[in-house]
Amino acid sequence: MLIKIAWRNIWRSRGRSLVVLGSIVVGIWALVAAVGFMNGFIVGYMADSINHDISNIQIHNPEFKKDKEVNYIITDAETKIDKIQTWPGVKAATSRVLVNGMIASPKKAAGVQIRGIKPKEEAKVTQLDSLIGDGAYFEGIKRNPILIGKKLAEKLGVKVKSKVVLTFTDSHQNLTSAAFRVAGIIESSSLNLNEGYAFVLHSDLTRLLGVQDAHEIAILTDPQVDESIIVTKYQSEYPGDLAETWREIAPELALIQEMYSSMLYVLITIVMIALVFGILNTMLMAVLERFKELGMLMAVGMARIKVFGMVLLETIFIGILGAPIGLLLGWLTMFYYTQVGIDLSAYSEGLESFGYSSILYPYIENSTYWTIAIAVIITAFVGAVYPAWKAVKLKPVEALHKI
Amino acid sequence: MSVIKAENINKVYNEKTIPVHALNDVNIEIAKGEFTAIVGPSGCGKTTLLNILGGLDNPSSGKVIVGDTEITKLSDAELIDYRLKHIGFVFQAYNLIPVLTTMENVEFIMLLQKRPKVERDARAMQLLEEMGIGDKANQRPSQLSGGQQQRVAVARALASKPEFVLADEPTANLDSTSTSALLDIMAKMNEEEGATFVFSTHDQRVIDKARRVITLEDGKVISDERR
Repeated sequence: MLIKIAWRNIWRSRGRSLVVLGSIVVGIWALVAAVGFMNGFIVGYMADSINHDISNIQIHNPEFKKDKEVNYIITDAETKIDKIQTWPGVKAATSRVLVNGMIASPKKAAGVQIRGIKPKEEAKVTQLDSLIGDGAYFEGIKRNPILIGKKLAEKLGVKVKSKVVLTFTDSHQNLTSAAFRVAGIIESSSLNLNEGYAFVLHSDLTRLLGVQDAHEIAILTDPQVDESIIVTKYQSEYPGDLAETWREIAPELALIQEMYSSMLYVLITIVMIALVFGILNTMLMAVLERFKELGMLMAVGMARIKVFGMVLLETIFIGILGAPIGLLLGWLTMFYYTQVGIDLSAYSEGLESFGYSSILYPYIENSTYWTIAIAVIITAFVGAVYPAWKAVKLKPVEALHKI
Repeated sequence: MSVIKAENINKVYNEKTIPVHALNDVNIEIAKGEFTAIVGPSGCGKTTLLNILGGLDNPSSGKVIVGDTEITKLSDAELIDYRLKHIGFVFQAYNLIPVLTTMENVEFIMLLQKRPKVERDARAMQLLEEMGIGDKANQRPSQLSGGQQQRVAVARALASKPEFVLADEPTANLDSTSTSALLDIMAKMNEEEGATFVFSTHDQRVIDKARRVITLEDGKVISDERR
């Protein structure tokens, strides 16, 4: 009967109940949308940086980190890679040869980091092959192929099959130049990939530099693996090298991740507080209007805890009704925008200069839907506690004589 | 044997500011099966006395003993339980639960007492039939007239067969036909079920029906007439 009374009380004042229902629906929808968009914005940016550029773990000669001198190499890099790849949690690993230099076209020149990579292995670690927008991934050019970012190509005024000249200092401190032909143009929101890197074949660069082995080993781990465990293991096996996780390599990304978490908490808290006060206000009105009735219930022998439960039940029912509607709306919004993306091209110049994509694809994990729904129902519950407590504190004799 | 015994009841409102003496040394005893009216002009303390007899309010001094229990010593939670098990209430403004049907309103107290559904249904239907509103069992209070609603309230008060029923101005909002019908029903229930009724009223029609009339004036019992 308590459930029946609570349920029917909801529909006694439809307008008011719909306001509470609406605030729960909008609250859930807004949170789903906000989390989805923020995920798309920040997590997408981080995932791009980690998956396509930094990788989970990098290994260097400790001296190379201080001074990008080409002679500071990782010895026996390939042997080490073969071993690392047998470790649990490691998905792929590759070696790179790195040197800072200049890239020049007939029109212009620019400073770049020249990265000598092994195409197959690199593709496994950074999926670089998937970022080719124009041309092909080291194909179609017989001698000295090169991949550059779209922005760099525009800057240099070159396209696929255009000739560019790379100039850098080799291991003997001689200035070396070599001509390369653009095999493919990389399209990415990453600043480094877009205009900071030039990718050539590992064999071409080692030949020109006059070095063996590699300057960098990049490791891709399973998503659920704690990278620091692999780093510790590597350091104990090869104490002469320097192994670092992406957090140490790019502390700004770790900071972004922390900021994102904090912002998300702040956002959720603001929405929840607004919801609590909305529900509190509405339920308090519902209780104040029913003073006499609640007084009668206690006068005839209804225990205070049951009166308390009845007021809470009313809000919980509205929460249970509102949660699926809010979740459905949120899911539909996410589903639609995950397919088509949100075109931020009006702001793309500003966004791309920070490494963000101009098309935002919201993303939300399934478990987040439930977390949000439960959080909102708990919030509704909290919002109803004060009105319910107010009902319980009524003195029946006074409530019965309220006009 | 007395059902209710009120000894030296005093009730003072606003004790710390401007004291108002609502009841002054009231002593009454009400026996089982009585049909008693507490009468007097507005503000004489009728409702206050009824509230104190029903455990809805506490006296400033004095005690109320119902059966073997001194209810003035009970805690708030014990009083709620006590009212549930021993007292039926009829209010001036009916105070039915608007979202429940007539039948559910009558069943409500029995449900709080955790009586089985079969018993609840049978008792509620029996009372509604006796009140002459058996055909309104599935209607909500808003679909009934004032007189019909007050009959439902009486049925609700009697549903759990309480030791006594306290009715605060039960006819104040009713027309003469409804009042007459309600009084007949309550008198019948008093005779057939042996229910003890105590009214607060200044309605002459109720006073005429009562078999005992206690008159209050300025919070004091000035007469106690048995008929």
